[in-house]
Amino acid sequence: MFGKKFFVNRYEEFGWRFEETKPRQAIRINMINGKEADTVKRLQSLGIKLEKVPFLKSGYWVNKARFSIGATTEYLLGLYSIQEAAAQIPATLFTKLKNKTVLDACAAPGGKTIQLADLMRNTGAIIALDIKRQRLAALMNHLERCHVSNVIVYHLDARLASQLNMKFDGILLDVPCSGNFATDKVWFKRRTLEDIEKNAGIQREMLAEATKILKDDGEIVYSTCSLEPEEDELNIDWATETLNLEIEKIDCRGEKGLVRVFERKLDNAIENCRRIWPSETQGFFVCKLKKRVNR
Amino acid sequence: MMKPIKDFINRLNGTTNLDETLIVKKSNRYFFLNTNLKKLIQRNFFYAGTYLGKIKNGKFFPSFRLLKILAETEANRIIVDKRTEWLFVCGRDVFKRGMVKVLGSLKKDDYTLILNKHGECLGFGRLVRDIGDKNGGVVVQNISDIGDFLRRER
Repeated sequence: MFGKKFFVNRYEEFGWRFEETKPRQAIRINMINGKEADTVKRLQSLGIKLEKVPFLKSGYWVNKARFSIGATTEYLLGLYSIQEAAAQIPATLFTKLKNKTVLDACAAPGGKTIQLADLMRNTGAIIALDIKRQRLAALMNHLERCHVSNVIVYHLDARLASQLNMKFDGILLDVPCSGNFATDKVWFKRRTLEDIEKNAGIQREMLAEATKILKDDGEIVYSTCSLEPEEDELNIDWATETLNLEIEKIDCRGEKGLVRVFERKLDNAIENCRRIWPSETQGFFVCKLKKRVNR
Repeated sequence: MMKPIKDFINRLNGTTNLDETLIVKKSNRYFFLNTNLKKLIQRNFFYAGTYLGKIKNGKFFPSFRLLKILAETEANRIIVDKRTEWLFVCGRDVFKRGMVKVLGSLKKDDYTLILNKHGECLGFGRLVRDIGDKNGGVVVQNISDIGDFLRRER
């Protein structure tokens, strides 16, 4: 099953009317490398028109730039990163990060790893994994450019993370997913339900592995840029039933997670997940999980 | 382990107090760890802590992070104007007219860091003539600049 009509009908069934959208370009100021106001002022002096993203602490829309914002001295000095606005949400959802040990399970090309390091002010430790060796080169470049000093990178599949024999205070599971049409012009031609189900299976394996290596009071932030419930609400419903995880309330942009999917009623706590339909941002899904405490 | 790094720092007339016990080498790359990372690191790591540079064909190539650390010391530094800043980042050499301030003792063949007016390190180069030389033309030959981050992605 595939094709634009098939997927658009699904979105309408979930209460969202399909419209073609193009996410706005966004940047995130790296606080470890300079003061936000100074960096913004410098970029404005180059003729770059910025607008604060209302739902982010250090994110800005780029309204106008006469040249590539990835080719300024300020970018090369690590004063900011180019990062889509919705993708800036997950790292901000951890309760406390300074001096913690955090796993970024699918880290490359590194946008969220840099953001975590920034939020941690280069304290504690981030263990960053990725399965694709060639993508690690991009991650290394970003770490060097942004002067990050608290990361150890391993070439490792997130589904084998327990091989590290470590326990984590926080785990960012920004899992590989099917993506969405807002960032991929040929998405409807390329994707089938079979792809989506295959990805959902891999994501469940990652959730299960992450649960094994999470400290008892630790937090998992799970995110995808997929709009398909198999990779989002259905996976989280499965995780709460199977892995003894519970969903934490989060305060961020987005609509409540779907509690009724394909005639199936899910756990009411799924409402605490956030689903972002494409508009100014790409499509996105995010939630926070903790181990269930037996009372 | 530290010799190539020390030799490079000497050519810049710089100093550093990096704790040698926290420096690790992985194939041809050097990394500086903090004590926390040192406790956690495993043998099969790919990248860790602060990347210091690599050895290629027997020569040490410093990272931009190491250059930034050295820029905060008494190493040779030349501050350049806005136009020269951009030209240098694009891989060009530095002419005398683009130099705003010279810090350190700079003789022909010395290495020097190139900084912008904010004091941020843009890279380094080699002096092709004494600073006091009255002739015009190129003073610093570009060896490495932060524009390399873009060139690496091609």
